[in-house]
Amino acid sequence: MAENFEKHSDISAADLARLNQEAQAEATPSTAKIIWNEFKADKPAMAALVIIVGFIAFVMIGALFINTPKMMETNIMDYFDKPFTADFWLGADSGGRSVAKQLIVGSRNSIGIAIGLTVISSTVGICWGLISGYFGGYIDWGMQRVYDFTMMLPMLMMIIVLVTIIPHYNAVSLTLIFSLFYWEGTSRLIRSRTLAETQKDYVAASKASGTSNWKIIFQGIMPNISSLIIIDTTLSFAENIGVETGLSYLGFGLPTQTPSLGTMIANANDPANITLYWWTWLPAALEIIILCLSISYVGQVLRRAADASQRQGAAD
Amino acid sequence: MSLVEIKDLKVHYPIRSGFWNRVTDSVKAVDGITFNIEAGETYGLVGESGSGKSTTGKSVVGLEKVTSGSILYNGKDITKAENRRKLDYNRDVQMIFQDSLSSLNPRKRIEDIIAEPLRNFEHLSKDDEKLRVLQLLNIVGLDADALYKYPHQFSGGQRQRIGVARAVATNPKLIIADEPVSALDLSVQAQVLNFMKKIQREFGISYLFISHDLGVVRHMCNNIAIMNRGRLVEIGTREDIYNHPLHIYTKRLLAAIPETNVNQRAAHRASRLAVEKIYEDQQSKYYDEDGMAYPLVQVSPTHSVALPENIAKQLASQEGEVQA
Repeated sequence: MAENFEKHSDISAADLARLNQEAQAEATPSTAKIIWNEFKADKPAMAALVIIVGFIAFVMIGALFINTPKMMETNIMDYFDKPFTADFWLGADSGGRSVAKQLIVGSRNSIGIAIGLTVISSTVGICWGLISGYFGGYIDWGMQRVYDFTMMLPMLMMIIVLVTIIPHYNAVSLTLIFSLFYWEGTSRLIRSRTLAETQKDYVAASKASGTSNWKIIFQGIMPNISSLIIIDTTLSFAENIGVETGLSYLGFGLPTQTPSLGTMIANANDPANITLYWWTWLPAALEIIILCLSISYVGQVLRRAADASQRQGAAD
Repeated sequence: MSLVEIKDLKVHYPIRSGFWNRVTDSVKAVDGITFNIEAGETYGLVGESGSGKSTTGKSVVGLEKVTSGSILYNGKDITKAENRRKLDYNRDVQMIFQDSLSSLNPRKRIEDIIAEPLRNFEHLSKDDEKLRVLQLLNIVGLDADALYKYPHQFSGGQRQRIGVARAVATNPKLIIADEPVSALDLSVQAQVLNFMKKIQREFGISYLFISHDLGVVRHMCNNIAIMNRGRLVEIGTREDIYNHPLHIYTKRLLAAIPETNVNQRAAHRASRLAVEKIYEDQQSKYYDEDGMAYPLVQVSPTHSVALPENIAKQLASQEGEVQA
């Protein structure tokens, strides 16, 4: 059979290396290259990317050098110490605890939860949507009824109840509790695109070429909705920072001995803190604003990179 | 023995309605068709849109769930997925799609697209696979630098040739060509059709050529089947169909071929109107009371038509054919 192809084509094994090189020279830039060009063309987005990566790396590494239980000990002598001193860069709170150190450990906790939640809920949501949309029929019916059921549950109340009945919860179990609910939006979004994508001829062509269903789903369809996946994941990351922060602010998030962005913002509950001791809550609030803005800038670049007509970067 | 034997193939889609969403009716996309495809020939399947030709093609390649009937290949009924797997059926039966853009995955490079059936059925080494892809590109007249490009970087004709290359990659015995050129302009149509013919000569492939363009079908096919509302209305050789059409539907299709001879415009118009008048006056003769085609009746060794026996005989003798 190989001879059959040899006979009718003037290409033989000897030409392989040369032709391969020619083809390489003409190759289209990869997606990663296109995204990078897009970042280079948009300076604010580049700055946003540097801020996000730099800040996350800083708090992740910085938190390793801080002894959290010791930091959280109350020290009445440092009651509301002023910021910008050698001992307390950002001052101290009502317990005499360093705001700067709390900010580092708290960011690590909040961002860690947001990353974990994004990874788990997006993975589950994407797989759920892809499988449900691709197979259709009874599988789709069953999976969508499960979706409808979880959608019907009052999310915030369920989380609060679960947090109260679980005795010793920590960052990991909190992430898992959130993940029970936050896959839903992603799954419906992905399913709707998968439904459209599955009807296209290239899926039929893959089936006719003998490719298995799982390979078609994850290597054929998923790359085609990758732009949607990237954007949804970036934006839900920004949203997920807010999820933990909001709940901790209400007092149902992390336990009080574990600092987080939410517990720090909760300092603003006290009118005296708002007017007199601004350093107890302002840094955390500013951090959330800057992080979420930066993430949305990065999200915009990714969206532009996915759509050739909106690109600003040089073609290469 | 024929390469593929299709026996009483039916593909019905359920219509659900009412409060309980029960099946109340069905769309009979394909409603009991029987024909054989011989090795090395091009079999034409012709009909208007919605007549079920594409559904038939997809059933033969295994993409459509068949309601009843059988498709025999090597004596096995390949309407069952299990038999298809056992035979590596799609290694021998491949498909060329109508829309060249949507049939190529926009996120895959040409190398991966053409190599897809090879990876599933042949398990070649990396270098052998790349060499095979380069040879295939060469056979369909594309340069090696296409290897790492994406489908949107090619013109319609080039893309359709990439589709042809993918279909021939595993050296199949039968290719279902589902309106392969109807989305292309005329000069490119000729180019792609000639490639298909060249490949047929060189590799001994059979085609099931699905089209509504009778000019193209005449160029490509030895045997032709005419489909109307899910049923076959006439089967015959190219000669039978083009020179001695018996069924009114075939006559209408033939009358619809555009004539470029302007001097005879009035005469052509008159003959087209005559065919249309017969169709309107004598519909009850050609279709049963439900408006469906009759079962096929043989009028010569190669020629069958879907008419009641007496009418078929009468028409055949009018056309001056030798009786079977």
